[in-house]
Parts: sequence; structure tokens; C-alpha cells
Amino acid sequence: MKDHKLKSSKRRDFLKLAGLGAGAAGVAAAGIARAEAKVEAAKPEDHSRGYRESEHVKKYYALARF
Amino acid sequence: MQATDQAPYAITEEDALRAQAYALLARLLAEPPSAELIMRVAALDGDASVLGLALNELAAAARCASAERLEEEYHALFIGLAGGELTPYGSYYLTGFLFEKPLAELRGDMARLGIVRQEQKTKEPEDHIATLCEAMAGLITGAFGEGPAALAEQHAFFDRHLGSWAQQFFADLEAAEAARFYRPVGKIGRHFMEIERQAFAMAA
Repeated sequence: MKDHKLKSSKRRDFLKLAGLGAGAAGVAAAGIARAEAKVEAAKPEDHSRGYRESEHVKKYYALARF
Repeated sequence: MQATDQAPYAITEEDALRAQAYALLARLLAEPPSAELIMRVAALDGDASVLGLALNELAAAARCASAERLEEEYHALFIGLAGGELTPYGSYYLTGFLFEKPLAELRGDMARLGIVRQEQKTKEPEDHIATLCEAMAGLITGAFGEGPAALAEQHAFFDRHLGSWAQQFFADLEAAEAARFYRPVGKIGRHFMEIERQAFAMAA
């Protein structure tokens, strides 16, 4: 767990330095992210997504909350 | 937070910006940019990082671009009468042919992740660079159902479907003869793919 935290903070620092951090929001211009959708979420009935959010991941997002 | 209208889930600012970068690339590569999109791109304001400088270059290019001219450029690059200068599909880059095994693998992964195509809108194969960038953006923000994909899941998708060819594609775009506005798009993509590769490696 400690190792995981260390790695994610190292990764976040790296992303910030690379131009993807608070205050360097060059790509965050309003409205650009709304891509003309070519893909969408599967309908609930054919939902087959394998991923389940584990406690581990939940904690990661909680810790990483800005 | 900028991403609240797109991202109903709490993700870090870095991840929100990664998603925005993917979404920007997806929008610019999916079809010729509209006048409205060009205007928004013209307002981009990067920092002093390599990526930020490339964004500034793109913004400058957008300020002297028109939708008409960009449609011509897009056509020359990606469509063209005898095929555009570039073929932005993973299968083509990896095997020299469309509809090969990499596409089959992608279809399997998309089904598993709950990502479906909008059939009426999209007739081209799913391994188009814009579709893959859109898929990455959605995995990061949790647009496909059960919340943001775990980093390991994002990493696996990136490695399998983008890591092996996207950086080369963006380098080719940057060097393409017909590319003017799309030259900085190629540069942004090339740098961003490298950032992603290194960042994923750090967390692995």
C-alpha cells in the first residue's frame, strides 16, 4: 500500500512536470473535451464490463482527491 | 473543476487533464474541425512544458486557419481520392493491412470494457486513432459505466492498442507533407503518447 501511494505520487508529479497539472491546464479550455462521440457506454442489458472498483482503488481515488 | 460537466466521478486533476488531451486529439482527428472548434483551439494556452509549447503552436495555427482550409488539409492527410497521405488505423500501422488481428483484439477488449460504437454514425473500423483516443478519455473519466477504469486497466488498454503504433503515427503526422495545422497536432500527440508511456511505467 505504501509502495502504491509512493508510485502514484511519483506518477502525478511526473504528469504535472509534463504539463498536465493544476495551473498548467493548457488543454482544459472549456468545451473541447466534448468529443463528437463515436463510441458510447454499452446499454445496461449488454453490459459486460469486467472491471470492478476494488477497495484498493477506491482508497487511491480518495487519497488523490484534490 | 473544469471537468465536472464531463466527469461525474472524482478523478485527480492530472487524470482530468489527460482525459482532456485525449479528447482534444480525438476531436481533431475524427473529422475536420468546425469553425467553433477552431475558435476554441485558438484559445488554448499552454505552459512552458514541451506539451504546453506544442499546444501554443497549435493555438497559433488555429488563429490563422479556416474551416474550409482545414477540411482540405484533413482530406489530403486522411482521406484523399487515392487514399490520404496517412492511414490512421492501428491494424494498418501494425500489419500493413486494415481489418487484421489487432482490430479483432480491440473489439474483444471494447466489448469487455462496455464500450460500443455508435453504429449509424461510424462505419469505419474501431482502431481509428480518434476512436482509440476517445476510448482512453472515457476510461479515464468513467464514461463507460462503472466509474473510472483502474490505472492498470487504462495501462493495459494503452499498451495493447495505442502504445505500439500511436507515437509513430503522430510523428508521421508531424512530418506529413500536407500538414500545416495538423503538424502541431502530431507534435502534441507524439509528446503526449511518450508522457503516457512513461507515466504508466512509473505506476506499474
